[in-house]
Amino acid sequence: MSTDQGPSGTRDTVFGEPIAIVGYAVSPMTEFAEDTEVRLCLDVVTRALAASGLGRKEIEFTCSGSADYLSGGTFTFVANLDAVGAWPPIRESHVEMDGAWALHEAWVRLLVGEERTALVFGSGKSSTGDLSRVLTLQTDPYYLAPLGADPLSLAALQARALLDSGRATERDLAAVAARALRAAVTSPHALPALAAAGASGVGGGDSLDAQIDALLTADYVRSPLRMHDTPPVTDGACALVLATAPVANRLAEEKGITPVWITGLEHFVEPHQPGMRDLTDSVSARRAAQAAGLTDGGPVEVAELSALYSHEEIILREALGLPDGCEINPSGGPLAANPTMATGLVRVAEAARAIQERGVSRALAHATSGPCLQQNLVCLLDRQPVGQEAHTSLEGGAR
Amino acid sequence: MSSGARSGPRIVTNTVEFPYRRSLGPVIGTFVAALARGQILGVRSGERVLCPPLEYDPDTGAATSGEFVAVGPVGTVRSWTWVSEPNARHPLDRPFAFALIQLDGAGTSLLHAVDAGGEGEGAMRTGLRVVPRFRAEPKGRTDDLAYFVPEGAETTDPGVVDGATLAAVGGEPRAPLEPVETMEFWSSLTYKEALSAASERYARSLLAGRLLGQRCPTCAKVYVPPRDFCAIDGIPLNEGDDLALPDRGVITNFTIVTPVKYPGQKETEPFVRVSVLLDEVDAPVGQRAGENDLPSPARRPGSEGAEGQRTGENDLPSPVRQPGSEGTEGQRTGENDLPSPVRQPGSEGAMMGLQPVVDVSNEEVRVGMRVEAVWLPEAERNADELGNRGWGSASGAITGWRPTGEPDLPVERYIDRVF
Repeated sequence: MSTDQGPSGTRDTVFGEPIAIVGYAVSPMTEFAEDTEVRLCLDVVTRALAASGLGRKEIEFTCSGSADYLSGGTFTFVANLDAVGAWPPIRESHVEMDGAWALHEAWVRLLVGEERTALVFGSGKSSTGDLSRVLTLQTDPYYLAPLGADPLSLAALQARALLDSGRATERDLAAVAARALRAAVTSPHALPALAAAGASGVGGGDSLDAQIDALLTADYVRSPLRMHDTPPVTDGACALVLATAPVANRLAEEKGITPVWITGLEHFVEPHQPGMRDLTDSVSARRAAQAAGLTDGGPVEVAELSALYSHEEIILREALGLPDGCEINPSGGPLAANPTMATGLVRVAEAARAIQERGVSRALAHATSGPCLQQNLVCLLDRQPVGQEAHTSLEGGAR
Repeated sequence: MSSGARSGPRIVTNTVEFPYRRSLGPVIGTFVAALARGQILGVRSGERVLCPPLEYDPDTGAATSGEFVAVGPVGTVRSWTWVSEPNARHPLDRPFAFALIQLDGAGTSLLHAVDAGGEGEGAMRTGLRVVPRFRAEPKGRTDDLAYFVPEGAETTDPGVVDGATLAAVGGEPRAPLEPVETMEFWSSLTYKEALSAASERYARSLLAGRLLGQRCPTCAKVYVPPRDFCAIDGIPLNEGDDLALPDRGVITNFTIVTPVKYPGQKETEPFVRVSVLLDEVDAPVGQRAGENDLPSPARRPGSEGAEGQRTGENDLPSPVRQPGSEGTEGQRTGENDLPSPVRQPGSEGAMMGLQPVVDVSNEEVRVGMRVEAVWLPEAERNADELGNRGWGSASGAITGWRPTGEPDLPVERYIDRVF
């Protein structure tokens, strides 16, 4: 990479170059990882770099997403930097959010043009603490957290609101779960226990209808949600490598990498109080998709949605206006593996995988944060670096 | 902390507690104050009334009016879920519903609990009309609003009353409300994780009275405890990179901590924590020959993936090779007593941070002081306090570091090894 100057080099800054994913890696997903979080990160960072054809020292910006509350250790995110070899000092940032928001920060940095390569990773061992209790602490500390407003209860309130609206039934929720289980069978990134459960359903010769019938016999964990409607506690990590067009094209030429172009990336947030917005819609997801340019290109063929609960997939499908025939969560989605703080970034990696490995032309990845789909990020990926006009969110942001 | 004895990994348990005290501000503080009168307040914001009241309208970001409006007491369930097995954080210890309740007169819904009575979940439905129950003896806290019950339900809970009962004893209803200033919230989180393979080897080694480190074959940095990765090179390491370390070294930095009172603080008097740079080690015999062949890391030709990208690194030699330390090498006092410091090509001493001292007063501790570990008798050692983090805690095996009485080493030699 002798022609590429480092951050301190003298090359010109080019604003708004197209940006591509040139490498990614997803860790094995487990219910309880015996390895430390930094070792999970080291694994995916090493493999994502290898896939990209770039070396560690060729990375000009690094951004990670994780939450110290998950591990219970102060500055766990600093320890995670040990996975990237941050000496001599590197340009680096961290978001206390899903790695998908770290991707957003890195993407903005590359758009600005001072840097041309970036490493993004997200990680979480949600088995370490009591995830329900940890996530209760992200709710409003005055009105919600003192009530022990756990994420499952909040999700169930949203699910009930959706059912009451007449736009979905409990059977629709179970159908989402059944498809996730079926996808888990062949997904390399599903929890093994769920893949096995999916395989026993399929292997038993059950039709999808029969499988849904079986799921509906389960008790509620929080009515109207059953266990299969809820995400499994998962430990895992994910890393992506980004490059601007000159570097990505060179890697394609020299190393045979298939760049996956980020043609839009936006996020919007809604009020936090669950009683102050329409829980049956996702206005922020819709706006993010519009701002990212969902309607500007060809049809989205694959959507990887951070639908943590089965009803969220139905709300998101409607809000995003995904076309008929769009395949949703071929990876199994968060119902098959939900590594909190990496789940959204995994969606981006899975969407990129659909383009790289399955010949898909256009894919959408979605990430979420906060209770009841409070904040939503939409990332559009294309085989071709089109849709550049959708890069900037100025228009969308003003709406 | 505790450890499990099964054949799987040792499980390390930690409980992290934060006793938060939060300011409520004028809006939430007034809402809480009104609960003691059996009243639920909303705040006017444009055309609508927000309940729960907020300082800023979430739709517009505009400051709300400051005009409080009594809402309810009857409200309508807009959505609900059934909690059949409440946890310790929930407001009721018996099965209950969480519900979004739109109080009459409010434009938004409040999340709260509904005690559905003997009928349980069967009594719940969207559209159900509910009324609040308050603590009979209010404490100026958010949970002075205890829960809701279906309208017309009998209250069987002796500690709670309806709003009218409380209003009758709550003094002048027209008197201005003094906002409650703060609330307390005790956060307690318990974490369990597997002791990593590297930490397990370190723990076993400590129990056997030996300090264990790990050397990166690429940059020669020695870590204690072993971590199974090199933070400089970003590569995995393994058991084969472990090495036993001497339990003697030199203080390169220290701090005197004056304890302040907080929950969990056991110290009462100022105490010292030191950084100990361990003496360098003769590598195990089997590895020695090869080790002498190791070129210095900056000039290493074959390090994977790093080739050609190491420019700039030559400006940053590893600490033992600082020109300054080379210059002082010949002037060392007591050098001959040391187990071949600085002579090991391609390795450097290991650092243990935040170590306690023994047999020395706070005032005597200084950089350059030679120290050695004081081990607990083997029968008294334990690895209970060890986890996967830290800068080399030896707690449970080493009580602290005491002066050896040897002459001090020059301070300037350790200027880059302070932490």
